[in-house]
Amino acid sequence: MDRAVATGRVGWRSAQGRGTVLTALLRLLQWSDLLVVLALMAVPFCWLVLSSFKSNTDFFANPFGLPQAWSLDNYITVLSGEPMLLYLLHSAVASFASTALAIAATTLAAYALQYRFRPRRGVFLLLSFGLFVPVYALMTPYYFIVNDLGLFDSVWGLALVYAGMSAPMSFLIVKTYMDSIPREILEAGRIDGASFHRIFAGIVLPLSVPGMVTAAIFLMIISWNELLFAVLLTQSDAARTVQVAIQFFLAAFHANYPEAFAAMIVAIIPTIVAYVLMSKRIVAGLTTGAVK
Amino acid sequence: MRTATRLQILLYLTPALLLTLLFFALPLTFVGYMTFHSWDGIGPILYVGLQNITSLIHDPSFNKAFINSIIWILVGLFIHLPFALLIALILSHRPRGWRFFRNVFVLPNVISTTAVAFLWYFVFQVDIGLLNGILGAVGLGGLARPWLFDPHTALAATQAPFVLYIGFTMLIFLTQISTIPADYYEAARIDGASAWQIDWHITIPLVRPAVAINALFITGFCLRMFEYPFIMTSGGPMDATLNLSLYIYRSMVTAHAYGLSMAAGSATILLGIAVMALVFLALRRAGGRPAEA
Repeated sequence: MDRAVATGRVGWRSAQGRGTVLTALLRLLQWSDLLVVLALMAVPFCWLVLSSFKSNTDFFANPFGLPQAWSLDNYITVLSGEPMLLYLLHSAVASFASTALAIAATTLAAYALQYRFRPRRGVFLLLSFGLFVPVYALMTPYYFIVNDLGLFDSVWGLALVYAGMSAPMSFLIVKTYMDSIPREILEAGRIDGASFHRIFAGIVLPLSVPGMVTAAIFLMIISWNELLFAVLLTQSDAARTVQVAIQFFLAAFHANYPEAFAAMIVAIIPTIVAYVLMSKRIVAGLTTGAVK
Repeated sequence: MRTATRLQILLYLTPALLLTLLFFALPLTFVGYMTFHSWDGIGPILYVGLQNITSLIHDPSFNKAFINSIIWILVGLFIHLPFALLIALILSHRPRGWRFFRNVFVLPNVISTTAVAFLWYFVFQVDIGLLNGILGAVGLGGLARPWLFDPHTALAATQAPFVLYIGFTMLIFLTQISTIPADYYEAARIDGASAWQIDWHITIPLVRPAVAINALFITGFCLRMFEYPFIMTSGGPMDATLNLSLYIYRSMVTAHAYGLSMAAGSATILLGIAVMALVFLALRRAGGRPAEA
């Protein structure tokens, strides 16, 4: 994408001529726009991070300044309470299990759709229309389905729901990627006498890994961050996720806000790390998945 | 390729089909069926005809929720989307540090909406809130108010972080802009077009597929919006920030009116279909080809 942007666009300088007052004004305007947006976005987060290092009294005496004494106490309290690590574990299990299930199921389906068969178009539409369904409109049936499967208040129930909810997105990203594999490679496998299964396991699957990884990053971030189903489908420490837990920090710790802030930061760090490590792939994933 | 038996294909399709049936086909059918039934979750399911629908129509809370969900969509389509396009246009000219801005602008979108909602609860908080603090510091303390508890400002306050965090929408625009052939720009430049003219006459018409895809995503996102009102206001004050997701949640969890909650679910789905159809029609009339999106 970067290269395409580089070749496709022109800088203001070359488009605008040099040195005119208008050019300078325009450049100032675009810069000030970006900096204002950056400030609006960043200031609340900076405040959150600063506040998480304050003591409760320091926070109320001085809500906007720097901490009087930088302290990791809030983080230690948050993490040493055993449930917090348990909640993080639940979120991790639900994210990984749902992602693994959705990616496995949709990769198999994307491969099947590489072949011509009768209701191929229909199956494609069936597997992808869910991308535009506002799933929270279906929360009531989800509740009863999970109950009937005996998976209420279980991370596995949550994982199953997340897998189903994210399957259309996973399917579209993986299939778009798989479609870009040159047909000759598959044909060569067939001429060598490889079976349906062998072409998948030996050729298509290894070549599809980048698409699967991209989808997996999206799915894990979505599952990790999900709140409504985590509230609706769990009720105890047996399955509570970290997103549900951060609400309790605001109530349970008698409005010790800095401690709640530390809990919030603990809850968002995994997705930030994932983003920083994978930002290239996230950009690429939107390229293949959305604008096609 | 034609070297697969129907059985092999079916075998590979089965897991994904099961997931889709279990989490899309079955719930949609159930929601449609239950729209005309009443159920407390334990007793028998009773056919009630149009009773759920008339109760919804006469329920002021539902009306408020329905209108607020439409406002969410309008804010998404007419504020969030143009704002994202503006920033994408600026970044597409590759000002110094554009890559940094792009990555930082996307970052809030990978952070959980729950945490962002809590954060913005504190932005709008009365005593220790950032906004009132800043207003006081610049001498505009008279404007300070309990933003989330004032019926006039509460809805806008819950929408503020959504409007601001344009990351994914902007990224989809940037990606589409990057696919525009360089020749178009060269030709325009040779003809002496200014950067504004190039943006207006070349880039904006050519990003229409991205407008379509973004409009669909935004509509879906706004219809399923739950975290901001749930955490920042719980739908209050006096239902000022209630929306459809929260209404469904409430009628289900607190009232155990499952038929009613699923009727509200049907209304949400139908609203989604209607808005998405309108988006397609509008973009087609504007001369776009949204089918390409």
